[in-house]
Amino acid sequence: MPGLKYTQNTVMQYLLQPDAGARESLAELVVDQGNVSLETRMGIYANAYRIRLKEVIETDHEQLCFYLGDELFERMADEFIAASPSQNRSLRGFCEPLPEFLAEDEFFSQYPILADIARFERRLLTAFDAADTNREEFAALAALPPEQWPAVCLRFHPSVQLFRCASNAVETWQALKQGLEVPGADYSGWRYWLIWRGRSRLTEFISLQPWQLVLVEAVIAGENFAGLCELMLDFFDESQAPAQVFESLKAWFEMGLIRSLVVSD
Amino acid sequence: MTDKIEREFLGFGLGLRTKHFEYILQHQPDIDWFEILSENYMVAGGKPRYYLQAISEQYPLVMHGVSLSIGSADPLDMDYLRALKTLANDVEPKWISDHICWTGIHGINSHDLLPLPYTMETVRHVAERISRVQDFLGRQILMENVSSYLSYQDSEMDEWTFVSEVAKASDSLILLDINNVYVSARNHGFEPMDYLNRIDPARVQQFHLAGHSDYGDYVIDTHDHDVPDSVWDLYRQALVRFGAVSTMIERDANIPEFPVLEAELGIARDIATQVLSPNQLSIADLARNRGVKSCLA
Ligand SMILES: [Fe+2]
Repeated sequence: MPGLKYTQNTVMQYLLQPDAGARESLAELVVDQGNVSLETRMGIYANAYRIRLKEVIETDHEQLCFYLGDELFERMADEFIAASPSQNRSLRGFCEPLPEFLAEDEFFSQYPILADIARFERRLLTAFDAADTNREEFAALAALPPEQWPAVCLRFHPSVQLFRCASNAVETWQALKQGLEVPGADYSGWRYWLIWRGRSRLTEFISLQPWQLVLVEAVIAGENFAGLCELMLDFFDESQAPAQVFESLKAWFEMGLIRSLVVSD
Repeated sequence: MTDKIEREFLGFGLGLRTKHFEYILQHQPDIDWFEILSENYMVAGGKPRYYLQAISEQYPLVMHGVSLSIGSADPLDMDYLRALKTLANDVEPKWISDHICWTGIHGINSHDLLPLPYTMETVRHVAERISRVQDFLGRQILMENVSSYLSYQDSEMDEWTFVSEVAKASDSLILLDINNVYVSARNHGFEPMDYLNRIDPARVQQFHLAGHSDYGDYVIDTHDHDVPDSVWDLYRQALVRFGAVSTMIERDANIPEFPVLEAELGIARDIATQVLSPNQLSIADLARNRGVKSCLA
């Protein structure tokens, strides 16, 4: 008797790579039940395996799939499924390595925007099911005595994420999503985006100017209000910097980005 | 004989699907309970958890998983079990179920419910693991029969014997999927009633109903169609044998609007009303707390 481990190994090898050798090994373990061929019986499992994983790619990376079109989607899906068997107990994680696959594959890496779109879609998914927490209102900041302001630090909502890419991946994603004409790939410079899940539980994103990126990164790093104002001196003159910081923070509260504020000592 | 069984009867339920979240909250349809797919809610937060919370305040829930991989030769996934327990603490389900199958080996997941060889070795392996899961969760669990398309040469017993032996050896309950019995009967050429007649009614806690795709020579369990007459017929016979068992319809693909599924569930209700007495079908006044205003408001 072959034993459970051997049987499961043989089935799994067949699912991963249903070539002649794997088929033969499995056929030795399976009963020939006449009316329906062994080939058909085993094939049901091999097909189901691929169909299921393709559906996950299509669901999690809908716009990427539209961008590729049917033929290239099939090629990408077949090669990714072969290269990256699921090691995740949840299908949710199956496409986690997809951006890396696209960036490293000899063929697909010729189009760097593909990996960028895939990465962006993964960030949206992360924001979608990030933890829920309270969101702080601007009034809480406004209520603080002015002498405490320099020491105030902000904490972002857990869904908040930065996304940076050197292509127009997000603009392309948006055009695909809205059914508009898709722009050509543009690699003219870095672009920055902020992604979060809003109060209505919809995932939202906005583009960031370089100074806004610095501000977001500094908040993530735990910089206080005084520190933020100082950083802004690289972009604005002394009379404008605090107002810029103030306006940004106010907008962030309104967007539901702020989870809490902490007054550092 | 079935009268003696003390089993909690929840009535008639449906699988909770993302597409219907908003409808359910707005219309509070007259559904007795919902079954959730545990894995879909093993996330920190966001929309699914929000709706789950809101719906759990109005309907009894049961948790149904697909990742336990109880028959795998790999060790039990304790991270998964911890996540399952955490979710159960939040959801407070009436019960928790998974499948008598394996889903992966060597850390690779097929995400499919793959058949096991029906041997005593497998019975011992599966039963021992179910016992450990039950100990860990601190409750009896339900294990579901899966549909299958192939049989192993080293199988020593029928599927129904295997399912019964596993339940007995682990003192677990059975989630009997009527459609899966039908699908496997067609694919392996046995009489579905031979299967049902060998299952101990005292072990059966829940039924699944679903549709499938019929290719003539074989049938695939696709959950993308209405429940067909063949499955309704078998359901009728199952009610005769098992009595009132909490019943739900699984629809995982090609999901229609909610009222369509509600109407389909009405068929199950009608059949049960024809087969069973009102007494048998009375639902304990458990958590049917829909529409009850809080005294604290
Ligand atoms: Fe089922």
